[in-house]
Amino acid sequence: MYEASDSSLMQAVREGDLGALAILFERHHRPLFNYFVHMNGNRELSEDLVQDVFVRMLKYRQSYQPARAFAAWMYQIARNAQADSIGKRKLEVALPDREFASVNVMEENLKRRQEISILKRAMARLPVEKRELLVLSRFQNLKYEEIASILGCDVGAVKVRVYRAVRALGEIYFELSGESAQRGA
Amino acid sequence: MNCEEARTQFVDYWRGTLEDTRAAFDAHLVSCERCRAEAAQLKDMWSALGTLPDEDPSLRLRSRFYDSLREWRRQEAAPRHVFGWLRHPAFQAAAAMVILAVGVGTGYLLRGREISEVSQLRGEVDNMRQLVALSLLQQQSASDRLRGVSYAYRVEPDDSQVLSALLTTVDHDSNVDVRLAAVDALKKFTNNPVGRNGLAQALTKQNSPLVQIAILDEIVEVHDKSSAPAIQALVASQDVNPEVKQHAQWALRQLQ
Repeated sequence: MYEASDSSLMQAVREGDLGALAILFERHHRPLFNYFVHMNGNRELSEDLVQDVFVRMLKYRQSYQPARAFAAWMYQIARNAQADSIGKRKLEVALPDREFASVNVMEENLKRRQEISILKRAMARLPVEKRELLVLSRFQNLKYEEIASILGCDVGAVKVRVYRAVRALGEIYFELSGESAQRGA
Repeated sequence: MNCEEARTQFVDYWRGTLEDTRAAFDAHLVSCERCRAEAAQLKDMWSALGTLPDEDPSLRLRSRFYDSLREWRRQEAAPRHVFGWLRHPAFQAAAAMVILAVGVGTGYLLRGREISEVSQLRGEVDNMRQLVALSLLQQQSASDRLRGVSYAYRVEPDDSQVLSALLTTVDHDSNVDVRLAAVDALKKFTNNPVGRNGLAQALTKQNSPLVQIAILDEIVEVHDKSSAPAIQALVASQDVNPEVKQHAQWALRQLQ
């Protein structure tokens, strides 16, 4: 199909074609919403934040540098929006130990439902900076270079941190799986 | 490669993005049981993580975004005020009183003005529908593009950008349902010669009998005689589905 790249669309927005932002919105609002839901566990707040990110893109569109990956720029704005919301609302960063409400899960079979539920609980228990690394690398499928650019560190550090986040999640996940297997027995 | 180096390569290994270090990594896994076990155990979890279902935002999110985009466009389109004092509250309050007085007085005389404001507002709404339709038609997911088609129904029939996007969809979209929906939406544009011509041209470019039959029906419905040569070309073509050919012959009879 006739797809313009994110970067060329954002350049168009920068040059005054605000309508191009609608294409970027349609492309990215859902992953962005999921990023926020993983970060703060609150759907309503996450929708506010998605809205905030796109308004900031309009506001600061002159700061967009085409040489930089659009996703990296977008998630940097997202991180700032998330950080500001914590400051404003004085929220606790850590998530409550519960699952995210999810309608989609109902369709899955029982075993898979259990696995999903355990994974979500494990994610929620993970410290927020580790959770963010997993959301960016696994759910958003960003490259190490892009994550490094978002976090402002080098690629080597990202590799090590992502591994440590996977390992930390693994520890919680296997502990929770063990508990649920014992309960089931 | 030692254990620590190997472990930081795990994610690359699962993602299939190990390049230069692949041989050294494999050699380490062969020789180190602990790393091998850890890689296997965490890999399952990594895969499961990738299948966690996404959450859907509410519909309100989209309408909020388009509302604020419209607001931005309006603000940028408005001429900038050079005189800062025009914005002073005292001035504005006084001006409001004057405007109210003048407004009440002239309101009776200028009822036509209201109509022009309403039509301006309607223009903006159409503009937004066009934007939503065009944006959705370019999305990767077929269900988004279907929604784009449904927005296309709501634009003004002289909207050439939406018309051209619909024609491109009919010609090139990979999904038959989306193409069929676009053919239906083009009905709105059959008063426009570009729309009629585009529809006839699409006929021979199609490989889906369903879509071809839908286009033929639409041509017959609007009784567009100018499409007859395109239909004749379809009938003459070698590799056309026999049912489509039959239907095309029927269509030609209807147009006579």
